Amino acid sequence: MAELVIDHLVKRFGAFTALKDFSLHVRDGEFVSFLGPSGCGKSTTLAAIAGLDRPSEGSIRIGARTFYDGTKGIFLPPEARGCGLVFQSYALWPHMTVAKNLSFPLKLRRVPKAEQGRRIAQALDLVEMGPYADRFPHELSGGQQQRVALARTLVYNPEILLLDEPLSNLDAKLRDRARIWLAELRDKLRMTTIYVTHDQVEALSLSDRIVVMNKGEIAQIGTPQEIYENPTDAFVADFIGTTNFLTGVAAGSGGRMHLQFPDGQTLGLPAGARAVPGQPATLALRPNQLLTGDGPGTALKARVTGQAYVGGRWQVSLDIGGNPVRLEVEDRLEGDTLTIRVPDGAGAVFRASADTLAPVTAGAA
Amino acid sequence: MAVTGHRPGGQSSDLQAKAIQYGLALVTVLVVLGPILPILYQSVIDRPIYATGQELTTANYRAILSAPAFGGVVWNSLTFSFWSTVISQGLGAVLALLIGRTNLPLARMFGSVTLWPLFISGLVFAFGWFVAYGPSGFVTLWIRATFGVVPWNLYSISGMSVISGISSIPITVVFCLGAMALSDSSLEDAARTCGAGPWRVVTRITLPMLMPAVAYSGILNFLGALESLSIPLIIGKPVGIEMFMTFIYTEGIERPQPNYGVVGAATVMLLAIIAVLILLQERIVGNTRRFQTVSGKATAARIFDLGPWRWPAFALVSAYVLLGVGVPLGMVLLRAFVSFLSPLVPLANLLTLANFSEALANPANIRSLTNTLVLAIGGGFLATVAYSLVALVVHRSTFRWRGPLKYVALMPRAVPGVIAGLGVFYAMLTVPGLSALNGTIWIIGLAYLSRYLPTGFGVLSPALAQIGTDLDRAARVMGATWWQATTGIILHLLRPAMLGAYALIFVAFLKEYSTAVFLFGPGTEVLGTSMLRYWVNGDIGPMAALSAVQIGLTVFFIALAQGVFGVRLVK
Repeated sequence: MAELVIDHLVKRFGAFTALKDFSLHVRDGEFVSFLGPSGCGKSTTLAAIAGLDRPSEGSIRIGARTFYDGTKGIFLPPEARGCGLVFQSYALWPHMTVAKNLSFPLKLRRVPKAEQGRRIAQALDLVEMGPYADRFPHELSGGQQQRVALARTLVYNPEILLLDEPLSNLDAKLRDRARIWLAELRDKLRMTTIYVTHDQVEALSLSDRIVVMNKGEIAQIGTPQEIYENPTDAFVADFIGTTNFLTGVAAGSGGRMHLQFPDGQTLGLPAGARAVPGQPATLALRPNQLLTGDGPGTALKARVTGQAYVGGRWQVSLDIGGNPVRLEVEDRLEGDTLTIRVPDGAGAVFRASADTLAPVTAGAA
Repeated sequence: MAVTGHRPGGQSSDLQAKAIQYGLALVTVLVVLGPILPILYQSVIDRPIYATGQELTTANYRAILSAPAFGGVVWNSLTFSFWSTVISQGLGAVLALLIGRTNLPLARMFGSVTLWPLFISGLVFAFGWFVAYGPSGFVTLWIRATFGVVPWNLYSISGMSVISGISSIPITVVFCLGAMALSDSSLEDAARTCGAGPWRVVTRITLPMLMPAVAYSGILNFLGALESLSIPLIIGKPVGIEMFMTFIYTEGIERPQPNYGVVGAATVMLLAIIAVLILLQERIVGNTRRFQTVSGKATAARIFDLGPWRWPAFALVSAYVLLGVGVPLGMVLLRAFVSFLSPLVPLANLLTLANFSEALANPANIRSLTNTLVLAIGGGFLATVAYSLVALVVHRSTFRWRGPLKYVALMPRAVPGVIAGLGVFYAMLTVPGLSALNGTIWIIGLAYLSRYLPTGFGVLSPALAQIGTDLDRAARVMGATWWQATTGIILHLLRPAMLGAYALIFVAFLKEYSTAVFLFGPGTEVLGTSMLRYWVNGDIGPMAALSAVQIGLTVFFIALAQGVFGVRLVK
């Protein structure tokens, strides 16, 4: 096991740049997620680490071993890197039993027969698949195949574990269970791990750090709390969790600024907000920062534009000063206005207007 | 746990992969271009390719272009190919529609019977038509005896076009059925809901959607007619209708002193015509369809009700199957067991095994039989493995030249069998090492290997595309070199497709003859060349006996492949 250092990595496909200047230092034993919508470059980066794709520029090394160096012309083929990669499709070889699948990488390393058997049993026990050694992949459920794929990777003690959306082929219920199980395994192994996902819940719950990616670039690197609570831009705020955006014109000066909406209402911005008076600014609010009922904070008048029953609760579409907002409430609303309360100092402020977020939101589904 | 994370020696495994890939690509280029380059060279030198003191010249081209007969040769070839294509595409598209999309009685059975001519040698097929419908053919004589007049003349361009067209119908049917299986029947449903009747749907929606398949297979069939030797040789030559292939055959083999330069020039001109047609074919369908042999999911497209036309349609399809395929092949088999075939003499008086005893008493025929089997079984196997490796490099490697390699692998489809044989023959005369193969059947095997590369590659490519790339990528990441990953994982998964390709190549090698006509010699005969010799000598009986043997072998091995190994030759 070792640290992973990626330096100024670039990958171009013809005229299209899939990955722009990607640098990252993953510490020994750290669990890092690459999070982003499809096409953001996260899988490209993973393939570059594994050696399945040759990058265009930059360097990748693990510990003292250089995997790739664009200027020195070094490119280790995948078989010489010793990475463990779990594919989204699992890539279990259909003509081999579970045990045969696991013995393949050991045979390549000329591990003696007896030792092979011991390690296969150990790896299968680790993923709780011990009794299935003689089954063929098609005789296993999706969740079981995923565990075997993981065992096949762990059996040869890779230096680094690469997981490419390993839970995305499971149905919703199974995915929740597998995530919890994966978290336990992570604590047991403490391997250097790169986890590629487009699911923010997986990234938030599993990672030591998250790399949020957008259009081939790193949008933000940080711990799950940092990223959720202090997103650096509107894209990150939107991609991590359900977020409502209120756009208006910034007003005031010094420590206390506020947003001015077209309908005349105003809303105080958190202290130290990076807004320019007279310019548009956007406040990103989590669902728990848009409250109904009485209490402290700023009250805003909202127009109700629609209601839909979503099982046990009602989803309400609102318009606050020209901004569409969605909210869930316990009971169906009477009347066509609602008073919304925003706690003081809540939300993150961006200078961009919310309009620029539209394509990003669509891609994140 | 003992740490065994990575394997040392990464760069050297990369070198090993490169060495294998470059080696395979080099061999492929040699096998493909080997037959073509000597012909090009021969066409521009003033004496045989093996002679000393060669000088570059355009005399060959000038000689051929000024020869008065040559214009007729080109004209005959093109009209013959044109009418053959018209017949095969017109009848083939209708047959495919009836079989694939209507409630035609026994449609499934017709679906497989229609394809039988694919597995029969063109030589045997043309011979069958000669025995049945030729001037003194069984059916011809019977019609004359009954009605006093015979309304056809097989020994004409139109007669030859009918034979060629009918023998090409299976290709059209296979492509049209494939296109129909892939087409979306909701397009037809949409037309129906707009108020179009069934007839309008067929003519305005279904048939237009078939046109790419008809056009694509049409060019294949045009090329097939252009490069066929059997029909021009058996039907056309006796009455002096010369075509490209018979011209090359006569000038290159039958003349006591073959005219090397003229043969080379004629061949180059034919290759140019074919190249233009293939470019046209690519313009029609684009590059993607090229690998698509027939495949697709068996979605149940809606079946049209023929109504009162059900039985007339049945009669039409039955007539094609019986008169076009059944009678000619039946007559060949019958002819093999009689001393003389005529409707005027009771068959019982003529039954004999003398044809077989005469054919099998000749040791040369026993040799040609064993040679054919060795080539089909052993050569076919080696060819299948070789084709698989080429397909692996093209589709499953990072080999730098894999794009160009794909084009090279498909190139031999532009080279008719006779010409591939001629090219290998020239190469053997000039390339020093190759003369070691002279006098062995492996020189013929080499020509077969080159000629059927596009067939094998075309069958294996789509199968390879269905094996997910993650499977070899997983092996690579786990420490397998390119060679270990492809042979250890992918080749195993490719086995069913390889078995299918082997069966197809096997049948092709079993019936192939035109590629061998320039290459065989005493001791290296194959079944087809032995038949050809009997034909040239006018020994119809033994020729029929050998044809029967070839049909029997083909039926036996196809039954074996389908029954024992579960191989489907045509999907």
